[in-house]
Amino acid sequence: MVKVVKPPKKGLVRSAAGHLRAITEVAKVVVNPGTITVHYPRERRKYPENFRGMIMFDMEECISCFRCAHICPANAIQMYPNEEGRYYPGIDYAKCIFCHFCVDSCPTAALKRSKIHDVAYKDVDSMSVTPKQMNSVPEIVREDSVTVEYDFERDIQLIKRKEFENLLVEVEKPERPEFKAVPQYGDNCIGCRMCMFSCPVNAIKSKFEETKVILETDFNKCTGCGVCVRICPTEVLILTPIEEVDHQ
Amino acid sequence: MKEYSLDIQVTPPKEYESYFIPVPKEFLEDAYRSDDFVVFTGPQHGGSGHMRLIIRVKGDFIVEVIPDPGYVHRSIEKLAENRLYIQNIPLFERPSIIDFGNYNLGYVRAIEDALDIEVPERARYIRTILAELGRIGTHLYDAGILAVFLGHTTGFMWPFALREYIVEIFTRITGTRITGSYIVPGGVRRDVDEKTLDTIKRMLTALEFRIKKFERVFIKNPTTIARLKDVGTLTKEEAVDYGVVGPFLRACGIEYDVRVVEPYEAYDEIDWDVVIGEVGDGYTRFLVRVEEVAQSINMIRQLVDNLPEGDVLSSDIIAFDKKDIRGSFFEAYADIVLPEGEYTTLTEAARGTLLYSIISDGESTVPYRVRIVTPGWMYLKGFMEACKGHRLADLQAIYGSFGYFPPEADR
Amino acid sequence: MADTGLIFILLERILSIFKGEMINIPLINPIVERLMDIPFVNVIVAFILWKPIFHVLILPGLIGMTLVLLFIIYFERKITARVQWRVGPKEVSRRTGGVIQALADGMRYLFQEVIVHRDANAFYFLQFPLISFLPVLLPLLFIPAGGTYGIKTIYTIPAALALISLIPVFIVAMGWASNSKFAYIGSVREAFMYFAYEIPFILAVVAMIVLYQTADPFEIVAKQWIPGAIMNPIAFLAFFITVLIATSRLPFDIPEADQEVAFGPYVEYSGIIFGLVMMLPYEKLYLLSMLSVILFFGGWNGPEIAFLGDLAPVIYLYIKTIVFMCVVSLARSIYARYRLDQTLRLGWGVVFSLSMIALFISAGWMAWLRL
Repeated sequence: MVKVVKPPKKGLVRSAAGHLRAITEVAKVVVNPGTITVHYPRERRKYPENFRGMIMFDMEECISCFRCAHICPANAIQMYPNEEGRYYPGIDYAKCIFCHFCVDSCPTAALKRSKIHDVAYKDVDSMSVTPKQMNSVPEIVREDSVTVEYDFERDIQLIKRKEFENLLVEVEKPERPEFKAVPQYGDNCIGCRMCMFSCPVNAIKSKFEETKVILETDFNKCTGCGVCVRICPTEVLILTPIEEVDHQ
Repeated sequence: MKEYSLDIQVTPPKEYESYFIPVPKEFLEDAYRSDDFVVFTGPQHGGSGHMRLIIRVKGDFIVEVIPDPGYVHRSIEKLAENRLYIQNIPLFERPSIIDFGNYNLGYVRAIEDALDIEVPERARYIRTILAELGRIGTHLYDAGILAVFLGHTTGFMWPFALREYIVEIFTRITGTRITGSYIVPGGVRRDVDEKTLDTIKRMLTALEFRIKKFERVFIKNPTTIARLKDVGTLTKEEAVDYGVVGPFLRACGIEYDVRVVEPYEAYDEIDWDVVIGEVGDGYTRFLVRVEEVAQSINMIRQLVDNLPEGDVLSSDIIAFDKKDIRGSFFEAYADIVLPEGEYTTLTEAARGTLLYSIISDGESTVPYRVRIVTPGWMYLKGFMEACKGHRLADLQAIYGSFGYFPPEADR
Repeated sequence: MADTGLIFILLERILSIFKGEMINIPLINPIVERLMDIPFVNVIVAFILWKPIFHVLILPGLIGMTLVLLFIIYFERKITARVQWRVGPKEVSRRTGGVIQALADGMRYLFQEVIVHRDANAFYFLQFPLISFLPVLLPLLFIPAGGTYGIKTIYTIPAALALISLIPVFIVAMGWASNSKFAYIGSVREAFMYFAYEIPFILAVVAMIVLYQTADPFEIVAKQWIPGAIMNPIAFLAFFITVLIATSRLPFDIPEADQEVAFGPYVEYSGIIFGLVMMLPYEKLYLLSMLSVILFFGGWNGPEIAFLGDLAPVIYLYIKTIVFMCVVSLARSIYARYRLDQTLRLGWGVVFSLSMIALFISAGWMAWLRL
């Protein structure tokens, strides 16, 4: 269970042998080098499919749930409104640490990973990328014609292929049940209508009946984003999965 | 040799007025009056890392060394008080960038201890594989820095090329080269597939092949042995007095390893040896780390062979797909609140014992106080004491043999 | 009228002196013949082709040394990179693999500002790098190159040795003039190293002189029917180790250790003066390589090339020197750095005894040959 290491003893013969071994080892490498350099930018290193590169955005899928901006550890996501008033995320690449917490939080895979990792910006202001810019692939000048991949047999191998690599990755939607916002605890409602004003798709309607306010969710419009749940001061609304909603 | 002292009023030269020097004026005046020389090996120096050393030299022999750390202090503990528990995970793996497995493990285990979350088997094995890979990477990095402080440029380039193997495996598992942010409370973020496990085993064979060459060129090189043998010796009592931790404590002959004393993750299910040395000199400290690399390779082989099937995310957290946290990250972690109390964990990072302590007030989603004590800070005193009485050129050799890393010590 | 006649007579006298010892290259002889007829140009051409001037200025003198310096820096970086599993400099002229990298570096130094700091002794600080060319070019006068020679006596090798040992004095002076802490430590280390290698170095050369029974380089080269390295390998080993110590190459680059004393005596130099100062160890290596090729590897022996005439032995010596320098530059990638007291112990222990053994081997050879 315990292994003891001992330093070698000193001696003239031992050090002469050590010198000879070092010199022959270097002579062997001079004759037969083991270079592992990738000659960027004429060759490009091939990364695996789950590489955490720049984040791509699909505006059609986004449901404006604000989850990505909430979870980002570096506060790099800013939500920009479009003309109709819906909010979409824009990433400030001066702050982003590429941890992909936002990609993992997005319920509809609107934020996707890609293998692009070498984009350069001319000034600091252009590093705050707006949602419209994130919708399209950034412009990269590519000079490579060969991709290099590291593989290991008895020694490291550099596998060179003549191909022009596609840096975008096909990503499918995560498996999760669909949620709808249900006004479960209607007794707590104080009538502030913050849920109505904050809903991105205007799916909540309110009715005033005698002394109480009754909320009603249009389940066809509701995307399950959860903004109304988080904003309600008295926890009236709950996100429930679809099977239970059908029962109600 | 007789020494004559001159009682002349000596004014320290201009350098005292132009720099900010953290030693009192009397220290400099005293050195100028006697025959000593005060050398500032500052942060912009080929062989000092990111910290300043104020060395008082008599002839060629060091009288004392005063460290001036803090150039890389990023106030991580204060920053952690304003971030959610899950947002602190990328923050706390930044001190030691390639050993992120151990640094993540300490913090996440404290949270799991507080919330009583049970981690599935497969996830524990994968976490141990990451921790051991980080240990190999850090020891290779330290070997490279030791070589460059001795002037051996080949001994610097070869370990960094070997570190590239480890980094390639990290890319395949976590998606990024260093600072993976991969370990979360309840397991790991996503599963590892068969092809990657096969690549890990082949990589270990390739690593051993090139480490043998490295051994002949650097480790058994007579110049290295001449520079490191009997240099910076610490006896057992001195090492315990000064609070040295990790492989540097084991090199003085004391058998203390947190993975044996309080086992965590999968360490008590595999077969491995604790490496100790007998003489506490620079060469033994280096050899202990070389042997630990061999032990880690052995451990990873056993872990990959015996990896159990199953989920990678615990059933105690909300995750819709137990093999991939994508899509349920927010529901699982955004608003976890720890019950009131203080939760402490000890981890064996590559350079020594790592202590995390989370204090929570029971109501907020941000911690009240997180305390992290890194191994570098703990053995700084032992490092300074080991330098006394040696020559000026030995300072770099002792620095390299301790593997002091300022970003880790300053946090 | 009489003045111009006087000038012409003077020129005739000078021309006759030069023509007495001109180097004979059959390749360019027709051009030389043509140029000899033009009145003023023939003096200049005869001056350039005069053996001492050709030896010191063109080959293997100033121009030859500059070409070797430009090449050896590039080669050292490339071979070190090859050992370290990477590719050296290759972007400056991509098609040829970056050969002109050293020239590009030199031009960059020309555009940098030369800073003289307030504490330095400005006069000596600026002058010493320029004066240090003196002890580098003077030994070249004495080391002949077969076809060409500077001064021809039978005591050239000891004279060259004496002049080569002047160079460390200039390095110590540079560190002293810099007036800074690390420069001071570096100068002291350089002075200590000087004591470590000088005696074994002289003894190894003396061993070879005893073996050949003469100190005249022309006779030494003529006597090498097998190379001197095989006749007395111990002397070669001792000489090789002292060459490493003398030129501050790893494993003995203690005065200019980058990690401990931040370049030692050269720490305060910048700009083109820094470029000149970094060339100093390489120039010393060039001289010592020429000396070692003459003593150990058959000097300028080689097959006759008809159309090159007197230039052929010079080129053989030049190429052999370059090969020796390339082998020495490989030591940089094998070893770490020794400590100062370990070097002193090594110099006065192992290397000193090696050179004494070499002396005994030479005495044995001489006794055997006499019998």
